[in-house]
Amino acid sequence: MSTYWPWWAGAIGLALVTINHTLITDRSLGVSSAWDRVLHWRRERHLEQMDEEFTDDQALVEALAAATAEHFGTGTGASTMTQAPYEKSQPLEADIEAAADDSPAATNRRPAPLVTQAALLISVFLGGLIAAVTSGRFHLRYDMGPGFRDLVTANPTAMIAVLFVGGVLVGFGTRLAGGCSSGHGLSGCGRLRPVSLVATAVFFGTAVVVSFLLWKVI
Amino acid sequence: MRTRGAILLASIITGLALGYTVTNIGFGDYAELNRMFTFQDLRMLLSFAGAVVIIVCAFALLRVRRTPGRIHAGVIPGAVLFGTGWAISGGCPAIPIIQIASGYLPALVSIIGVIVGMRLCRWANGRYFHLDRGSCGL
Repeated sequence: MSTYWPWWAGAIGLALVTINHTLITDRSLGVSSAWDRVLHWRRERHLEQMDEEFTDDQALVEALAAATAEHFGTGTGASTMTQAPYEKSQPLEADIEAAADDSPAATNRRPAPLVTQAALLISVFLGGLIAAVTSGRFHLRYDMGPGFRDLVTANPTAMIAVLFVGGVLVGFGTRLAGGCSSGHGLSGCGRLRPVSLVATAVFFGTAVVVSFLLWKVI
Repeated sequence: MRTRGAILLASIITGLALGYTVTNIGFGDYAELNRMFTFQDLRMLLSFAGAVVIIVCAFALLRVRRTPGRIHAGVIPGAVLFGTGWAISGGCPAIPIIQIASGYLPALVSIIGVIVGMRLCRWANGRYFHLDRGSCGL
């Protein structure tokens, strides 16, 4: 009898985590993108600073426009500055719907602050530690358990090499594909995004093939 | 518009809940993972698939906005590399963290590998691929 949660409890748990994160932050959950941003924190911090400066500039321009409008009595201030030219053709209704669905301008918002991504990764560790300790599964080990020993290798040097190569493939692959099991698998598939459905099918299918090779052939 | 504090608090709660849930489902246990991928035990597979079904229904009911995303040239090769790495090392990006939290110290090597792989991908993309890869979770 497995000491792990039954499938329905796992499904509800994963779904609640993903739905709550999306509703509260208005952003998708993605552990690999959190990793990527934390690893490249210098560049990300620079981008954040530029973004903040841009926001300040935009706020200044809008305040000046509002003050000018108030002084000259032209009405709505900043909104008049951004009005589309009269000669520009109006988009069809279908175009508007498509834009609302897929246009980066319509759906992209500023990335979550860098510090929140670091907090996410640290919290995953703490959540895992609480679960392992409270369930009595926490044991310090210098191997990856009997499953890894039987299916992959029992040799400590080979184990280190396999874990490193596997980690490199995971890191490279998730960033090349634009997401991992949480980003593409849960958030992306939950939104029925074609790219996430394709990515999830391919990485899951590949893992099935490789696991069968490990189990039956190698 | 969510405030910085709200996003920080939400990220901490999400991280704690994700780590707790994923550990209790068994994703950090290599034997369980292999049994899922070889269909010897459908418990973990049903957990994942069930979660996706619930999320699809919830997002549809709550009218959660779609995010942009297109199938660029890196998606399929990237997913193949990720699937291979996941099957042989037992870790997707969150899993080595909870493996260490469960006491599997060699998982630190997987984390070092993930770091090297991500840096390598950014370097290779900037130098050779020039893909507008986007990201699924910002």
